[in-house]
Amino acid sequence: MSAETGALPPSRLRAESPLRRIASRPEFGALIGAIAVFLVFGILGFSSSANLGFQGGFLSLGGAAGYLELAAQVGILGATVTLLMIAGEFDLSVGAMIGASGMILALLLGTYGLPAIVAVPATFAFALAIGALNGWLVIRTGLPSFIVTLGTQLILRGGTIAVTRALTAQTIVTLPASAKDDPLLKLFSANLLTIGTARFNIELLWWLGVVFVASWVLLRTRFGNWIFAVGGSAQAARYVGVPVPRVKIMLFMATAASAALFACITVPQVGSANVLNGTGFEFQAIITAVVGGTLLTGGYGSVIGSALGALILGMTNLGIFYAGINTDWYQVVLGLLLLMAVLVNSYVLRRASGAR
Amino acid sequence: MSNPPVPHDNAPFTLPSETAERIAAYGDRAAPAMPVAGTPVLEARDVSKYFGRVIALEDVSLTVRPGEVNCLLGDNGAGKSTLIKILSGVYTPDKGTLLMDGQELTLQSPRDALDRGVATVYQDLAVLPLMSISRNFFVGSEPTKGWGPFRRFDVGEAGRIATEQMLEIGIRVRDPSQLVGTLSGGERQTLAIARAEYFGARVLILDEPTSALGVKEAAIVLRHVIRARAKGLGVIFITHNVQHALPVGDRFTILAHGRLAGEFVRGQVNQDELLRLMGGGEELTELAHELDQLMSADARTVEEAATHAEAVPTSPDEPLAAVEAEEVLPPEG
Amino acid sequence: MNIKKGVVALAGLALIAGACTSSASSSPSGSGASADRSGILIEVVTHGQASDPFWSIFKNGVDQAGKDMGVKVEYSAPQTFDMNAMGQLIDAAVNKKPAGLVVSIPDATALGPHIQAAVQAGIPVISANSGSNVYAKLGVLTHVGQDEGIAGQKAGSLMKAAGVTNALCINQEVGNAGLDARCAGFATGLGGKSTVLQVDLNDQAGAQQKITAALQADTTINGVMALGPTGASPAIKAIAGLNLAGKIHLGTFDLSKDVLDAIAAGNLDFAIDQQQYLQGYLPIVFLTYYKLYGLMPGGGQPVLTGPGIVDKTNVATVQANTGTTR
Repeated sequence: MSAETGALPPSRLRAESPLRRIASRPEFGALIGAIAVFLVFGILGFSSSANLGFQGGFLSLGGAAGYLELAAQVGILGATVTLLMIAGEFDLSVGAMIGASGMILALLLGTYGLPAIVAVPATFAFALAIGALNGWLVIRTGLPSFIVTLGTQLILRGGTIAVTRALTAQTIVTLPASAKDDPLLKLFSANLLTIGTARFNIELLWWLGVVFVASWVLLRTRFGNWIFAVGGSAQAARYVGVPVPRVKIMLFMATAASAALFACITVPQVGSANVLNGTGFEFQAIITAVVGGTLLTGGYGSVIGSALGALILGMTNLGIFYAGINTDWYQVVLGLLLLMAVLVNSYVLRRASGAR
Repeated sequence: MSNPPVPHDNAPFTLPSETAERIAAYGDRAAPAMPVAGTPVLEARDVSKYFGRVIALEDVSLTVRPGEVNCLLGDNGAGKSTLIKILSGVYTPDKGTLLMDGQELTLQSPRDALDRGVATVYQDLAVLPLMSISRNFFVGSEPTKGWGPFRRFDVGEAGRIATEQMLEIGIRVRDPSQLVGTLSGGERQTLAIARAEYFGARVLILDEPTSALGVKEAAIVLRHVIRARAKGLGVIFITHNVQHALPVGDRFTILAHGRLAGEFVRGQVNQDELLRLMGGGEELTELAHELDQLMSADARTVEEAATHAEAVPTSPDEPLAAVEAEEVLPPEG
Repeated sequence: MNIKKGVVALAGLALIAGACTSSASSSPSGSGASADRSGILIEVVTHGQASDPFWSIFKNGVDQAGKDMGVKVEYSAPQTFDMNAMGQLIDAAVNKKPAGLVVSIPDATALGPHIQAAVQAGIPVISANSGSNVYAKLGVLTHVGQDEGIAGQKAGSLMKAAGVTNALCINQEVGNAGLDARCAGFATGLGGKSTVLQVDLNDQAGAQQKITAALQADTTINGVMALGPTGASPAIKAIAGLNLAGKIHLGTFDLSKDVLDAIAAGNLDFAIDQQQYLQGYLPIVFLTYYKLYGLMPGGGQPVLTGPGIVDKTNVATVQANTGTTR
């Protein structure tokens, strides 16, 4: 043994400067992207904000409150969807789950007059059950989660429309007036701080909390290591004893729960639940993950990156509005900006890791 | 260090002298003349496995004792993968039993096998390239500190131990959080082996560890197989490469078409016999003959071209022209 | 790879720049536009995407009014029928501190707080197209549109006069309270039996199949009421497919090429036209003069733009202006 360790071959890796180490992290590209998007829309909206003494327009507290709210809402979804994508799976049913759980909340509170202390846990219980079902179906059938969750998406959305109309003959269910003052509901939708017309709500704290917990689980727990392993290669993970089915089912339950959280935040704010709530959010969540440095093939990604991705999405949505861009061009500009954000991200990551 | 000589006749394969000396330094345990006595640590007895109508294995037995290397040989499709998947808990046998230390056991899952000390290193699935060295080292058995909801993966400790263990097997890791993709193929295999040893494996099953490696890297892995044996582990070494198996094996189990084709102890069998039993012997001899013919046909063509080239008026570029003429002519025969 | 990225980046910036300039209102060309009008910004936030032919005409009205009045107008709508997003857009519009705000109110509970915040911020608000029964209590100055209940009743009575006793009411946009009110008004005006059939405005082929199936299931249906062009087109096709054209009385709300052609051909009895061009045009005019001189029509009451009836007698004029103002 001593003869072997006498002369070690030199390490194959060059020393890395600390700057390069930071730049190789998946979040770095998203950070650059966020700064770039802020600059682009800050410049485009500068004159109109300046004319208002920075009390209005993109570069104002009101503007910030707007895009932070958008970022928080999609960011809550994005954090858990990112975890699932790192494990190599997709959940296309989160948007429909937002609609379904929101409707359950509204039906229990409004149509059936139950107190929030019953309605809220029931909503989460429903979401967790459907999430577990998603996970179980994916494991059992071995089919791509893309397909399985597409099926559950249709069932959930269709079920929401059908059941709501059967029970109420309407497509919008209103919360009772008493819901406005309910302390449990306020936990999800209270206003924290209002400066002029800028309203900062408690959903920002929920966003930060979800991101913190998700990131901590990913990077600092055994379970998080399992998430990376399952995404890298489910078979290899299984062979070293990682409980793959348990990991996947729990992650599907997490995405469903975050959809229920989204609904608990938005339904009291709006005062009603609409059968179409949440349409399209599954893709917005995936976008935040990809912009944030998560690989579509799994095994690599970052929750902090996805939080930055949510911020980029929020700023882009409202930035286009404040720049006075003709809304006919809205989708084109959004698509281009997202492509650029993803390109910037992958370029920075590759330069930093010295691959090319 | 010189490369091993390339065998082009039927002479037995010999190790380079340095390696041979080191192996000899391990003493009798490294190259026993007799089979090691004692209860096998892991045994498969008359195991059969079917997939629908396909007979993957039929009445196959295999034993491995502590401090012994059992080379499981067989051509592709012989059933080696299936057998080791049974031994590592991935499959359950349709017939036959598994025994550990003489006691019958059923393995419920790969986790179960790992907990009992049977560690398997697969050819392609040894490590996860997108994860760091320390995460790879501890995947499935992560060290934790704290308790309850605050139980966290002890990244610092994991990195420290991983670096230590890697150093022991001869790989200097500058930063345990570097991606495992920066290691070469042989280094990744040895990481997996070191991992198995660290977690207290009693049986190490290696699935074709050298098949995708170059000569030097294969030698590194073989060195560690011997090291594991010296530590008292039982090693099952699967390969279809007889030249890698012969120097390290104490026992040779040959599978062909899902059945046991032979079981030998070191010294009882040579390379040719092994090849023949594996089912590739005749084909290889035929191929060798064909290649011989081709090579001699080429040699004749080259001579003819050279004589033609000499007939052409000389120019300063003549040597070049002769070489070009040789290369351009297609081989006949 | 660098070159490709550079090209994409340049293309993106060029498009953004192009889109910016194309939206800025042209400087007033007509006479009588005073210089200080160009500083007036009017924000329009509706629930209608510009890809919808109905809202395209509304937006044309908005744009033309901006040009005629010499003021800056900006139009926005959420990508899907999402009240949460629409509320956020209203907040953002208020944050631009415009001289006036025009909103549609498809869901008063959801949008109420946002509209009230706008009013409290001192911004004059006019509602258009939907919200005729809720606008007043939100502090909105007036409503420019069509009362859905009244229009529905008119349609129902027209059908009744034509002899319809059993009708289908095709709702193509689940969740829109205004459409719900139309069907309700229609049922009242008809007096007979009326069933609501839900279809998806984004799935024309599916809608056609659903209507066909419903007509086959109940052969006593002798009237079909569509609530918009995206419900009317599949209805026309479904009826034609069953060879019932001319036997089943078909009416609809709002106009489209298919609808006008069908009226001219005699396959559609009538269309209720809410004249959405005026719904887009008039609020801009009202807000401009409110800003300049404090004038506001309506007296707190809605300014009705409909129901206008388009049938065989006037379809030619309407066809001449389809897509732009009608």
